[in-house]
Amino acid sequence: MSVKRGSRIFRAVWMALVLVFLYAPILVMIGLSFNASVSRSQWAGFTLRWYGELFRDPVILGALETTLEVAVIATIASTIIGTLGVIGMHAMKKGMADLLINVSYLPMTTPDIVTGVSLMLMFLFAKVPLGKWTMIMAHIAFDIPYVLFSVMPKLRQMNPNLYEAALDLGCHPMKALYKVIIPEITPGIFTGAMLAFTMSLDDFVISYFTSSDMYPNLSRIVYSSTKLGVKPTMYALSTLMFVSILLLLILINRRTKLEELS
Amino acid sequence: MIQDTRLIEIKGVSKSFGDTQVLHEMNLYIRKREFVTLLGPSGCGKTTLLRILGGFEMPTTGEVLFKGKDMTGIPPYKRRINTVFQKYALFNHLNVYDNIAFGLNLKKPEQLGCGSRAEMKAEIARRVTRMLKLVKMEGYEKRSTNALSGGQQQRIAIARALVNEPEVLLLDEPLGALDLKLRKEMQLELKAMQQQLGITFIYVTHDQEEALTMSDTIVVMNGGRIQQIGDPKGIYDEPKNAFVADFIGESNIIDGVMLEDDLVKFSDTEFQCVDEGFATNEPVDVVIRPEDIMIVGEDVGMLTGVVESVIFKGVHYEMMIRSGDYRWKVQSTTMQPAGTRVGMTIVPYNIHIMHKLPKEA
Repeated sequence: MSVKRGSRIFRAVWMALVLVFLYAPILVMIGLSFNASVSRSQWAGFTLRWYGELFRDPVILGALETTLEVAVIATIASTIIGTLGVIGMHAMKKGMADLLINVSYLPMTTPDIVTGVSLMLMFLFAKVPLGKWTMIMAHIAFDIPYVLFSVMPKLRQMNPNLYEAALDLGCHPMKALYKVIIPEITPGIFTGAMLAFTMSLDDFVISYFTSSDMYPNLSRIVYSSTKLGVKPTMYALSTLMFVSILLLLILINRRTKLEELS
Repeated sequence: MIQDTRLIEIKGVSKSFGDTQVLHEMNLYIRKREFVTLLGPSGCGKTTLLRILGGFEMPTTGEVLFKGKDMTGIPPYKRRINTVFQKYALFNHLNVYDNIAFGLNLKKPEQLGCGSRAEMKAEIARRVTRMLKLVKMEGYEKRSTNALSGGQQQRIAIARALVNEPEVLLLDEPLGALDLKLRKEMQLELKAMQQQLGITFIYVTHDQEEALTMSDTIVVMNGGRIQQIGDPKGIYDEPKNAFVADFIGESNIIDGVMLEDDLVKFSDTEFQCVDEGFATNEPVDVVIRPEDIMIVGEDVGMLTGVVESVIFKGVHYEMMIRSGDYRWKVQSTTMQPAGTRVGMTIVPYNIHIMHKLPKEA
């Protein structure tokens, strides 16, 4: 009995430690973003002042615009490229398809700094000046695997006769693609697009190496501001980024769960 | 009903996937309005042959003629042939109505005899309604295909194919996923639809009873080769070899030796039969249907044996009777308890003599 209770307490404490370890830094930051005092060591009451300042700062608003613009363009482009690519891979012979898919997943596991530096080197080598468009291209590149990853299972689940049924009823192959295959895998495409968007919003390292200070995105602003002493507005900005990405991930998670159920 | 014109001719068609040859030199013709069943165990090549007819596979050698014209390289969307797939392959993003209208919506107004898009829309609605009536699914237009039972999905798949008024309908084990009762109902309905519409049906199944119930012609296949072509009665009564005899209905197949014309020896006993033209002392397969063996008194039987087991099968009893080193399967409406010694007689025309199949993989 006592052993049982002891182990239960131990488990609870252990779990609490894990959660504290994971979330304490973020909770401290969220707390500080509502602190009326600039000091990090003293609580001077609740305020929304830093959030207000955030939305009056033209530099931050500009960075927000860049971030969203990059994310939207990269999401659209990577979703189209990734979806068509994975449909092509799926239609190949099994051995070749598996090889290509595994090679395409690889960038997901490559450290961001390696991806970032190598993309930067490639742009410099090709004499493309670093800026917004190089950043967009980099985002497209690292978003594509997430699209493949989300669409591939939908293709594998699909009844292989569906495409043939479309041909049988009079569709040319291209028409069969957009009248039957694309609608059938739309849930996967949607999830892939949302994941790509989240990854784009989230990225700092790759953006840092493939863009310049002329076109800062939000994470770059946060990073450069830490060099001059962190202002509470940065806590507010980071909190907002954390919350929006968290919400997106919850949404993606719920979608995947719902799809599994249906 | 069946017209004597050859609608489809399959000439010397072989098919290989990599190193495996799944069809060997198939030759077959299919007449207009015929209900042809490709029957065989899984892996016999029947589905591959159907897919070649549908245009989903290309034969490695040989050609397929449609009304005398080579259609080997014609893609599926240019053939006047439609297919009912094994797992229905309904479009889940469309409702029942749009699934059935799918093929018609791809056509031009002139092709449906209409002058305008609006006229065509009304014509499509008419045809879809007619099809839903034919497959007994009126009122399901707006339903999602996910909400239908297996049998209902199958009906929609059939309607979706038939609404295009194909000259040939290909059906790939369409009833395989349904329960026994529903399957039997659908067999009769399919046959009735085929006769009513006058369309050629080419039907793939491994279920011999299904083939016997529905077909005008059965093509028995094994190992990528045609074993026998014939009408159901002919195939059942006069199987050409031991494979067909074993696959269609139940059979006792026993080694025998042909002593002379009309005289065969098996189980150490000589029997009168009605088969001629075999070599003297040629080893043969002797095939006898379980229902063709009569149980008689021990003293008057041509063979004697001991009943080993009895199973009640509804209409009849099925007994396993050991005689020498062979166990005979015997079906009879009267039962002999296990352990009884019985005699068995077989009349000459119920003894079927077959050449031994060449040994091959």
